[in-house]
Amino acid sequence: MVETKVTVINNAGIHTRPAAIIVKTAAAFKSEVFLSRDGYSVNAKSIIGVMTLTAEKGAELILRTEGPDEQKAANNIIALFEDGFGEI
Amino acid sequence: MQGGGYLCATSKHFSHYKKNSIMDATNTEQNSLEKILDVARIQSERIAVEALKGDPLFYECITGSEGLSNILKGKNLYRPQLALAGFYNKFGDGSILIFGNTEIAYLKSLSEEKRIESFKILLQREVPVPCIVVTNKNEIDDSLIKIAKENSVPIFKTEQNTSHAFYFLSEFLDDYFAPQQVVHGALVDVYGVGMLFFGESAIGKSELALALVQKGHRLVADDSVVLCNKNNVRIMGTSSSLAKHFMEIRGVGLIDIRQMYGIKAVRFQKRVEVLVHLQKWDPTKDYTRLGERDSLTSIMGVKIPTIALPISIGKNVAAIAEAIALNYLLRVYGYNPAIQFGELLKKRISSKQSDPDFYNEMRSVTWFQGDDE
Repeated sequence: MVETKVTVINNAGIHTRPAAIIVKTAAAFKSEVFLSRDGYSVNAKSIIGVMTLTAEKGAELILRTEGPDEQKAANNIIALFEDGFGEI
Repeated sequence: MQGGGYLCATSKHFSHYKKNSIMDATNTEQNSLEKILDVARIQSERIAVEALKGDPLFYECITGSEGLSNILKGKNLYRPQLALAGFYNKFGDGSILIFGNTEIAYLKSLSEEKRIESFKILLQREVPVPCIVVTNKNEIDDSLIKIAKENSVPIFKTEQNTSHAFYFLSEFLDDYFAPQQVVHGALVDVYGVGMLFFGESAIGKSELALALVQKGHRLVADDSVVLCNKNNVRIMGTSSSLAKHFMEIRGVGLIDIRQMYGIKAVRFQKRVEVLVHLQKWDPTKDYTRLGERDSLTSIMGVKIPTIALPISIGKNVAAIAEAIALNYLLRVYGYNPAIQFGELLKKRISSKQSDPDFYNEMRSVTWFQGDDE
């Protein structure tokens, strides 16, 4: 299991477009991917789940991946957050 | 009709249901949803007393905005009868104080000076009083309201009598401080039975929920289901406040069930009564064939009957889900088809000597009627 803290850095937060990117990225891996905020954990392969995190700029989320390709899945999703979902 | 009748039946028959060995723990495999779905519990630890003004209590605050941000850390309620009279043993743990007829009558019996003094001492303890609730429409003196304001202790008034106030407040606070968790699944009310479908991503939870809605059943939540442990006996489920009755269908996108199918297709909350674990068919796994006994899954310590449902091509999962719901209802009402069938079989075997006419007896009808229909 890989667990990391990720921070939302783009101004608009995780609105529909970033949510769609996260889900698309997560769904490409065999591993389970979860994002959680204050204990509220959602499946990162579900777009509604990711959107219900209502993560604004500065929000800190916990990314958790588990499965055969957990490290790669985590790295790819961390990269999305670091890149501000291409919105910076 | 169905809802009312069903509720009635469950409360009456619940103990019976338990007795019927359906929930016989020694013979069932047990699992916990926390482990299967790898979810964490969330538990509120504090609440501002301002919440008492809002839904569902609507208590009237008579001290203005003073102290509304006071924090409640527990769900204890306390009637300060003896404390008012000067006996403080066991008093002062940050409980809500309930002033019923007795407290008010006692305060009235005191001289103004004494009344103010005894009230003051009550509010100036080491652990501050978060708030006071005055029941039975009782009036409280302006001089006392002033002291409460000075000490930032809000006073709420209610028409409820004291025992009702205890009941409603406890219910409200129990709910607030109850353990909760968010699981990935779909919760649907099928014939009045709360069915929680879960399973891996893309197994078809949303599609199943949609099919059930189209058959006239009611969606509670899809995707993120918020579960709440009520008093360690029930699990209640609702949706997240943002997602409500939105649903994602892969290949289509987001749809809004309430807009599409109307108010009859949704509900806000439902007790979780049956868990259905959707899974890919695994030939090495032993699936339930008779259904004499339930396997149970624990959700935050509450055990709930669980069905592992293998998905394979050509299976009408919505129809099976309806059958699971109806079968559950039959069992709640005291009828277990597997046990009934077993008993019929036993009777037949024990009454059978050597039977010359075995094949004829196997038929459900002794003779086919002439109309050939």
